Amino acid sequence: MDLLQGTLDVLILKTLSWGAMHGYAISRWIRQRTDDVLTVEDAALYQALHRLERKGLIESEWGLSENNRRAKYYQLTQTGRSQLRAETSEWRQYAEAVFKVLETA
Amino acid sequence: MKRIRDIRPAFRLPWVSASRVRREVDDELRFHLDMKVQELIDAGASPAEAENRARAEFGDLEYTRRYLNDTDRARMHHERRAALGDELRQDIRFAFRQLRRSPAFTIIALVTLALGIGANTAIFSVVRGVLLSELPYAEPNRLIRVYSKVERGMTSVSPADFNDWRRQSTSFSALAASDESTVNLTGNGTAERFAQARVSANMFQLLGVRVVLGRAFAPGEDAPDAPRVVILSDGLWRSRFGGDPGVIGKSIRLDDSPTEVIGVAPPEMRYPSSVDLWLTTRFTPKDLSDANRGARWIDVIARLAPAATREQAQSEMNAIARQIELQDPKHNAGYSTRLVPLRDDMVGSVRPALIVLLAAVGFVMLIACANVASLMLGRTAARESELAVRTALGAGRGRLVRQLLTESCCLALAGGMMGLGLAYAGTRLLLSLAPSDIPRLYNVALDAPVLLFTVAMTAVAALFFGSIPALQASAAQAVLHLRAGDRGSRTRPGSARARNALVVTEITLALMLLVGAGLLIRSFSRLREVDPGFAPARVSTFTVTLSPVKYETVEQQRAFSKTLLDAIHRIPDVDSAAVTFGLPLSGTSFQLSYDVEGRPAPPPNAEPRAQVRIVSPGYFATVGIPLVRGRAFSDADRPGGPRALVVSQETVRRYFPGEDPIGKHIAFGWRRDGDRLSGAIVGVVGDVRQHGLSAAVTPHVYAAWDQWPLDEITVVMRSRGDPAVALRDARAAVTSLDRDLPVYDAFTLESMVDRALGQPRFYVLLLTIFAALAVVLAVVGIYGVIAYTVQQRTREIGIRIALGASRERVVGMVVRRGLMLALAGIMLGSAAAYAVSRVLQSLLYGVGARDPITFIAVAALLGVVAVLASWVPARRAARVDPLAAMRAEG
Repeated sequence: MDLLQGTLDVLILKTLSWGAMHGYAISRWIRQRTDDVLTVEDAALYQALHRLERKGLIESEWGLSENNRRAKYYQLTQTGRSQLRAETSEWRQYAEAVFKVLETA
Repeated sequence: MKRIRDIRPAFRLPWVSASRVRREVDDELRFHLDMKVQELIDAGASPAEAENRARAEFGDLEYTRRYLNDTDRARMHHERRAALGDELRQDIRFAFRQLRRSPAFTIIALVTLALGIGANTAIFSVVRGVLLSELPYAEPNRLIRVYSKVERGMTSVSPADFNDWRRQSTSFSALAASDESTVNLTGNGTAERFAQARVSANMFQLLGVRVVLGRAFAPGEDAPDAPRVVILSDGLWRSRFGGDPGVIGKSIRLDDSPTEVIGVAPPEMRYPSSVDLWLTTRFTPKDLSDANRGARWIDVIARLAPAATREQAQSEMNAIARQIELQDPKHNAGYSTRLVPLRDDMVGSVRPALIVLLAAVGFVMLIACANVASLMLGRTAARESELAVRTALGAGRGRLVRQLLTESCCLALAGGMMGLGLAYAGTRLLLSLAPSDIPRLYNVALDAPVLLFTVAMTAVAALFFGSIPALQASAAQAVLHLRAGDRGSRTRPGSARARNALVVTEITLALMLLVGAGLLIRSFSRLREVDPGFAPARVSTFTVTLSPVKYETVEQQRAFSKTLLDAIHRIPDVDSAAVTFGLPLSGTSFQLSYDVEGRPAPPPNAEPRAQVRIVSPGYFATVGIPLVRGRAFSDADRPGGPRALVVSQETVRRYFPGEDPIGKHIAFGWRRDGDRLSGAIVGVVGDVRQHGLSAAVTPHVYAAWDQWPLDEITVVMRSRGDPAVALRDARAAVTSLDRDLPVYDAFTLESMVDRALGQPRFYVLLLTIFAALAVVLAVVGIYGVIAYTVQQRTREIGIRIALGASRERVVGMVVRRGLMLALAGIMLGSAAAYAVSRVLQSLLYGVGARDPITFIAVAALLGVVAVLASWVPARRAARVDPLAAMRAEG
């Protein structure tokens, strides 16, 4: 299933709410969490990461990966954290509204 | 970790180069692909297969690489800008806190800067208004004043020469003539005398001036028989005619001749000067004839033709003048022309003085800046420990320099604003003090270019006094000062040297200013001692000019002046009175050449010349010109009788050396009704100054009023009481004789002498103020440096005193230090002043530009002042308590 427009950003934020991660780990994490239902194209993921960094929602730092290589780690900023909260509740309302319509039919 | 992250951005800008951004993006993507490849290999793929699949699954790799690059670069840029803004706000807040923390420093620096900037702006506004601003005419740089030139100088032009120039020259697109006089306006309201200019019909067109109402003169309206038309000045139109547009086409009475108003000139039209009305020249065939080529009385301006240069025009005019000279050697032998740009011609006389003032005030600014720089250096040294702490916390050298520069800029800005306030007051003061004979003063204002000058000067000042301490601070090896116990209270030799150099510079500049002021003061006192040749006390004067219609004949003019003089004599306060044509010091020039009977005709241009004055009996006694030999005029010098002339001593010295002039007959070229001005010399009187107190005396010849009466009558009266009362009574007397006769040029001779001193007094006053300011600033500078040294050396002084040095010795030691600095500055300043004081030469009278007395007095004055400035901190040094001083950290 392809991602709905604008979903990727919030998924990234949610992923990072568990702690700092590099891009590859984020991609893997999303895949695992959605049981491979959602496929995130790597190109889109990295573009989103840098875009979010530019918006100040996440910040990055170079660190060492599990296999001892230099990797770029991303983590949420304060703004990112509140953005995630806001978007989560927005998603919930949206989803509930859509379900309400779909289930009355 | 967290804390360092917070502090670092406060002192250092985030800065990642473009290549580093690229490298990081590459690294990040490579890491991702490697991880993916490893994952696929682990799942059983071959390495080559894995690499291909990883790339394929990634999506558009190259586009992403570019996208990440651009995004990161944009982020860096944005962060850097935000950080800069933060930093600037931080710096400014910090600067204000620092300035508030040392109010003494801040106030001294601000006052110094405000004075410097204020004085500079005020003087610059005058220089710009008078010297620099363009004339308000079309293409003003192509306007040229044309003079006739002979060996003894530049003169006005004769109508005949003007006519020939106009016909023959091709370098000019137009030439126009003018002459200025006064005219009686009668009819509506009281009779008043106004300044008029008679100009060629093309004058307005030549200047490119458009009338605001009506029309300018039409071609041909300057013909002798054309109808009389007049253009009013904006001022006259508003004051006398209430700004009524209906005045166009009306007839007004000028010197009793009806004249039609055809236009109103715009306020900026001020050529040939700020006159009230413009009429046309009306050269008669007689004016234009060769016989009158010697009568040079009109002023000529020209506009260069589009392709012509002034040099071309000058050489063409030289050729034309040479041709006229050959045609008419009797009048024009030795006459060529001289072309002067119109603006230079208007302001050339005051340029040297204004430039000297501008330079002087510039010096004051330099001294002010040096002073503030020196103050800041002292403060920077005292703040070294603070700067060291900031360096340790991660502040880069650039950041510290920027912080110090921010402080300087805040100071300069505040100083500049205060300076602007001072400049506003200063400019008004200058204008109220300035003598009215400085041209174009009406043009002086604090306008945009002047404000721009102030802003530029403020910026330069901030850079100048800000960069010296900033450089010092950046050179400091600040970290060293962090060592325990050392609070950075030792002066680094570099900082001390810089402050010494600044103080020496200040004294050098102050000395140069003092020399300038001293020379002008001495010159001014010489000028005041000049004997004008007459006794102005309690003598007043006024002038009337008779209407050529009502008083057409010489007999009528003679009769009126006699009636008038009788009326004046009846005023109870008046002791004696006389009439004259031309007063001393008035600048009125009626210079004529003459022949001495019985002498061979001299070559052209070598004839004897004199300023001719026509006076009634009693003139010499009334004005106080002493009779040296022979007799003065008396009532016996009657119209029909033998013509008598009185000459001045200079005439005798120059033209009758070793001879007795009494009894000699002389005859001038000037005729009236065919009658040559001539007569026998009956007496010799003292010389009077004619063109100002500093100008050389000119030979004078006086003729008897009754024998040569004129329509322009200047009355002089010596009164017992207040001259103002006599003048009031005299006005009443004139009105009772002729209601339509306006009295003008009414003043006391004392005010006239005073006016002659106006410009020198103005310059001497300003230069003295600037020099005094310079000395005060220099004193503050010396005091600051010495006081600072004493404070730095407290411990050393304490040890000296403890070891038995007498307090006198300590005082001597400190004062000697101040004196050494002063002596260095005095020597440098004297040498510099010696080199450049020649620029003052044209402003000096009776004193050389290298007058040794001035140089010595000024040097001594500065030396004494320097000693006093060092003595105060020296005494404080001598009072140091040795024990306390040694205990103190030092």
